[in-house]
Amino acid sequence: MTSTKSGVTVESLGAKKAPRLSIIGFFMALPPLLLVVFFVGLPVLIAFTFSLGFTTGPNRVLSIIGQEIHKKDHWWGTFAAYKDVYHDPRFAGDMRTTIAITVISTTLVLLMALGIGIYQRMIGGRLASVMTALTLVPLFVPVVIAAWAIHTFYAGDGFMRTFFSQFGINFPTITSTVSAIAIGTIWTSLPFAILMVTSGLQSIPDALIETAQDAGAGFFRIIRTVLIPLAITPIVIAGTFTGIGILGSFTIPLFLGPNQPTMLGVEISNFFGAYNRPQQSIVMAFIVFASASGIALIYIWANVRSAKQSGRI
Amino acid sequence: MAKQEKSRAKSSSPIVKFFLVLFMLAMAFFILGPLLWLAIHAFVTNWTYPNIYPDGWTWHWWTQVFADSALEHSIRNSLIISPIVVLLSMIICLPAAYAAGRMQYAGRKTFLIGMFAANSFPKIGLFASIATLYYALNLMGTIVGVIIIQLLGTIIYMTWIPAAAFASVPRNLEEAARDAGASKFRVFRTITLRLAMPGILVAIVMSFLASFDEAQGTYLVGAPSIYTMPTEMYALVENYPIQVAAVFSLLLALPSVLLIGLARKHIVGGQLAEGFQIK
Repeated sequence: MTSTKSGVTVESLGAKKAPRLSIIGFFMALPPLLLVVFFVGLPVLIAFTFSLGFTTGPNRVLSIIGQEIHKKDHWWGTFAAYKDVYHDPRFAGDMRTTIAITVISTTLVLLMALGIGIYQRMIGGRLASVMTALTLVPLFVPVVIAAWAIHTFYAGDGFMRTFFSQFGINFPTITSTVSAIAIGTIWTSLPFAILMVTSGLQSIPDALIETAQDAGAGFFRIIRTVLIPLAITPIVIAGTFTGIGILGSFTIPLFLGPNQPTMLGVEISNFFGAYNRPQQSIVMAFIVFASASGIALIYIWANVRSAKQSGRI
Repeated sequence: MAKQEKSRAKSSSPIVKFFLVLFMLAMAFFILGPLLWLAIHAFVTNWTYPNIYPDGWTWHWWTQVFADSALEHSIRNSLIISPIVVLLSMIICLPAAYAAGRMQYAGRKTFLIGMFAANSFPKIGLFASIATLYYALNLMGTIVGVIIIQLLGTIIYMTWIPAAAFASVPRNLEEAARDAGASKFRVFRTITLRLAMPGILVAIVMSFLASFDEAQGTYLVGAPSIYTMPTEMYALVENYPIQVAAVFSLLLALPSVLLIGLARKHIVGGQLAEGFQIK
């Protein structure tokens, strides 16, 4: 919203200065860029060549230590490691679990964020503020603690079973099941989604809602035709970030999930460390990355769309 | 305003209110329940299932944690490494954030999206990939290696959030100050920086938490020579009784709780949300 306000002045005042500033700006942007290129881009690129069977150069050490290493048999490499992973019975289960958890948790997080956001926007009051403050708590709790706390809470001797046993009810042990992973990922993802969605909903002008009310629109009609369409960009951003975060999660499924099937994050670590099959581990990392990139495209689309809209308004 | 009163009146029918309170209690239970359950364990001797009360109360686990030199080391490491990471992150990223927020240069959008792409590669996969480079550079098991790993996790916060904060400082305010005869540096210090401060503060808090809580990469690079509090937690969970892990969790959560007070207003006020939209 603010960008449209300042945008006018930028164009009128900054036009002359732009070319000179651009060079300084470029150099100011360099340090973090170099850091990312060197410590993220380069390792990822090297890892990609390793997954294709390039076992010399920087990949030499890993290919000596690791087991079941496939060396390239074409000039471009080999897909043998990818085939390994594809035919691994564990991978199918892990992939299904990862996708299911990502879809279910992201959907639930978005629904909760929308519910709380709409409640705060349309009704407000102290109850709404307390609720929003409450949902921000996980933002300040380290994931390791969160995972361990949830682990003990739903464990065989945890609170849930202790509490229900007082009434003679045998509450199921949730820890070490796939449901526990879902609970954990929802728990840790809530604050960010709620922040994005509430801030998007809050920036919708009162006048628009009032006009819709004057025109006779009911509560749900206003939500459907005014609130959600106007806040769609932050909602999509919340969804994509949540999805990407859950897709690559490690600590939560490690502490809360079953041994098999688990999420790919844990399996990447298992294959790299415990099973000593680094090539297959890296292949899985790229599969997760490819899925995350798919989600990221939605995010970029949402940003471009919002930029276009603010340009038009 | 009148309309809002109307919608508020409609909603506060007792039945709706009842369900809202019920929903809030359920949320409170869902979010706070596990934390409280773990916290209580820091003070109990033992808790036999299915008793509703613990067997007894004790401070024993606290003295055990403070007496254990390995645990103490990890606390010291965390308290030294995280501030260094945040400081480095500020030095490296804030100029870039200013440039991304205020200047138009070739590849500005690519820069912001690149930062995002780097963030969406699964961390655990990146750490596995980075091992090769780390062995080559002799960074494995060193403090520099740990600092770099943690630095990577802070970049997205330290570039995006301040960039949005710098972008939202009104240009005409700066122009007015310049017209009134203020020097460029003075304008930057007293207007630009001051107005962007809440955003920078949020970025500092988020970066600190990201660094302080980082466990996977630190474990991969630092263990077995360097342990921070979160990586020590992995070992604790496996080798110690739950009560020790509970004490440690409380200690580990302390900085975060302190930071809530510092930046809660700005985080809730939309600085964080603002930062995650590319403009």
